[in-house]
Amino acid sequence: MTKIRRLTQAVFLLIFLWLFLQTESKGANELGYPVKIFLDADPLIFITTALSSRQLDFPFLLALLVILATVFLGRVFCGWVCPLGTLHNLAGSLKKKRPPAKPFNAYRWKYYILIFIVVAAVFTLQPAGVMDPIALLIRSLSLAVYPIVQYVTVSAFDSLYAWHLPLVTDASEWIYGLLKKGFLSFQQPFFRQAVFTGLVFLGILALNLQERRFWCKYLCPLGALLGLLSRYALLKRSVSEGCDGCGVCLGSCQGAAGPDLKDKWIKQECLACMNCDDVCPKNAVRFGFSANASGTALDLGRRRVIGSALAGAIAVPALRITPLKKAGAADQQLIRPPGSREEREFLKRCVKCGECMKVCVTNGLQPALLEADLEGIWSPVLVPRIGYCEYRCTLCGQVCPTGAIRNLSPDEKAKVKIGLAMIDQSRCLPFAHGMSCIVCEEVCPTPKKAIRFEEVRVRDRDGREQILKQPHVDLDLCIGCGICETKCPVLGRPAITVTSIGESRSRDNQLLLS
Amino acid sequence: MNRRDFMKSALITGAAISLPAGLDPVLTALQAAQGPDLAVVRGTPPARITGAAVDALGGMRRFVSRGDVVVVKPNIGWDRTPEYAANTNPEVVAAVVRLCLEAGAKKVKVFDHPVSDARRTYKQSGIADAAAASGAAVGFMDERKFKDMRINGLTLKTWPLYTEVIEADKVINVPIAKTHGIARLTLGMKNWMGVMGGWRGRIHQRIDESLVDLAGFIKPALTILDAVRILTDNGPQGGDLADVKLLNTVVAGTDAVAVDAFGATLFGLKPADLGCVRLGHQMRLGSMDLAGMKIKRITL
Repeated sequence: MTKIRRLTQAVFLLIFLWLFLQTESKGANELGYPVKIFLDADPLIFITTALSSRQLDFPFLLALLVILATVFLGRVFCGWVCPLGTLHNLAGSLKKKRPPAKPFNAYRWKYYILIFIVVAAVFTLQPAGVMDPIALLIRSLSLAVYPIVQYVTVSAFDSLYAWHLPLVTDASEWIYGLLKKGFLSFQQPFFRQAVFTGLVFLGILALNLQERRFWCKYLCPLGALLGLLSRYALLKRSVSEGCDGCGVCLGSCQGAAGPDLKDKWIKQECLACMNCDDVCPKNAVRFGFSANASGTALDLGRRRVIGSALAGAIAVPALRITPLKKAGAADQQLIRPPGSREEREFLKRCVKCGECMKVCVTNGLQPALLEADLEGIWSPVLVPRIGYCEYRCTLCGQVCPTGAIRNLSPDEKAKVKIGLAMIDQSRCLPFAHGMSCIVCEEVCPTPKKAIRFEEVRVRDRDGREQILKQPHVDLDLCIGCGICETKCPVLGRPAITVTSIGESRSRDNQLLLS
Repeated sequence: MNRRDFMKSALITGAAISLPAGLDPVLTALQAAQGPDLAVVRGTPPARITGAAVDALGGMRRFVSRGDVVVVKPNIGWDRTPEYAANTNPEVVAAVVRLCLEAGAKKVKVFDHPVSDARRTYKQSGIADAAAASGAAVGFMDERKFKDMRINGLTLKTWPLYTEVIEADKVINVPIAKTHGIARLTLGMKNWMGVMGGWRGRIHQRIDESLVDLAGFIKPALTILDAVRILTDNGPQGGDLADVKLLNTVVAGTDAVAVDAFGATLFGLKPADLGCVRLGHQMRLGSMDLAGMKIKRITL
């Protein structure tokens, strides 16, 4: 059974990683692959988003399927499918000693975390993404792991290229070409907080050295949700009379199910890995379908449940008494991707999975730190100095699992303003320094350019007359894509900058009368 | 390169390398010397007028020798589909690639350093697919292959340029005719911005000198200006079909300044209205004296 399970896990992990690699533009308007199906299949994201947004306008059929599977078979998702779980298995194989000297036995923690999240979602907060395993994994891979892999690979091949060795360099360039086609990113991704998110991820994996699948046993809120759903699963474990209580199964258990407790085992904690069946020297363990009740009920303790629920409820106002919520006080750098819902609605849905940042062709979408306050940590922000919003690209909306960024048609997208550009005349070359430039006008993508010129005559130091074209922003036409800021040759503080003012999604954050 | 220079170099290279091929290169060179300075062909489809323009100049064998590595440099600057006339017409590019391969080129490379995202521009312009289908090696530019080059021009002293362009046996420029905010038009000379690395936006401070420096440094064997569709406003990126004018025209010549000078007339401008043309003429990079040129006009 172990072999079949490992094979299944490997297949799902490979599908997951392959789809992760496909979350990148090849130049067409669509990606061509269902890159977000793991997020679509995530019941925690489905339930919390449905609660917080009070809408069901995002794909959730796969999530229902996982719920159904869990109700019948138990936590097979955790044991057989979850790519983060499989990575935990791999990380855990680095741990030598087994069984653990003393299990933490804190499996209840994750239920408190789940209760906190769900209650917060009932009151319209969406904190699930911070700890949801799929969102966490995609975010960590996108922001930290993949950029590091890219950097290391490219540096290695660049060195071989620079050494210019006969045959070796030819071979390495050939391999490099293959990697560029199938594995490497088109360009080196750069992300804010890369080290931070990477260390968090590393820490989570390192917990396996304390105890294998520490995360899954004690912390994962999705695991907790699936645990609750598996209470009455039909796939059950039974232990026959032959059991002599040797306890080998305890060390092999991937969850915290207490297989040595025989009929008193904790069913919700069983990942259906069936290791206990495999290792039992007496062959006393059996998995089979039955309608009989089995295992002990989960006792979370009333006070702790109430405490978690209260914490979830209080988190909502606590996170929202921020001055950033006042109109006009919002962080001006909080430029959301095109198609983003109004900020409040946006935050009810965004699960911080990082898909939009991974797919952004210019790398301009970056994880927020506190631009949207704590509630919006790791949500996407466009940072034009890093990358602009490509005029005809709609990929971020295509990959968003919850519709926080709506999937716009190219025609719709062309009309969406994400902000407005304004010129700093004290730095702009034709205004401040009598030099011609107009890069902003050249790159402005709107069909009728949102940057126009005014021709002026100026005299230089020696009194020679010169005709200069000075740029002005047409606020009606400007969509705030930020390419002018990205390409502005005035490095350092650019002479043209975009802020979120004028964004279509907001009623209040407006400048113009109409 | 003017006609006399071309004669000289063609005779010399002909004598030096073409003994097995006999007198053929010399003959083509002689033919070319009697041929037109510019070929202007009007008609459809784009591939046919492209071929006719090259034929009018003496055929691609005049420019490409057997075994050459040729760089065909279109304008793939923007994320726009062909009908918006922001990038070179893909059929023109494909036709040029085919002609080069038919003339015996060993390899034809097609690339550009776009302003918009390269993946999108290559795909959406239709050029990557069309050129690859004609047998070109279409690739994105590789950051490692930009090297500082000593240009020693009026403005550009050294600048990182793309080595594959400099190392190629022959370079063919295949720009499109469009308006441009500071240069007024972007034609052949302006197309060389696409082989620049570094923060090239700075060259707008002295655009005309910079373009003449680049054109003089790169010295394409042939310039084929795509005016199948021209962009008459909101260039160089466009986006409004109302700004696109269908001319079904291709202009070809060996004199980069002359091609651009003619390109200006497509927009109702005089050659001297373009700073880079005026300066290129002054610097003897080429000629803008259209009246003194032999221009072969063909309508198909």
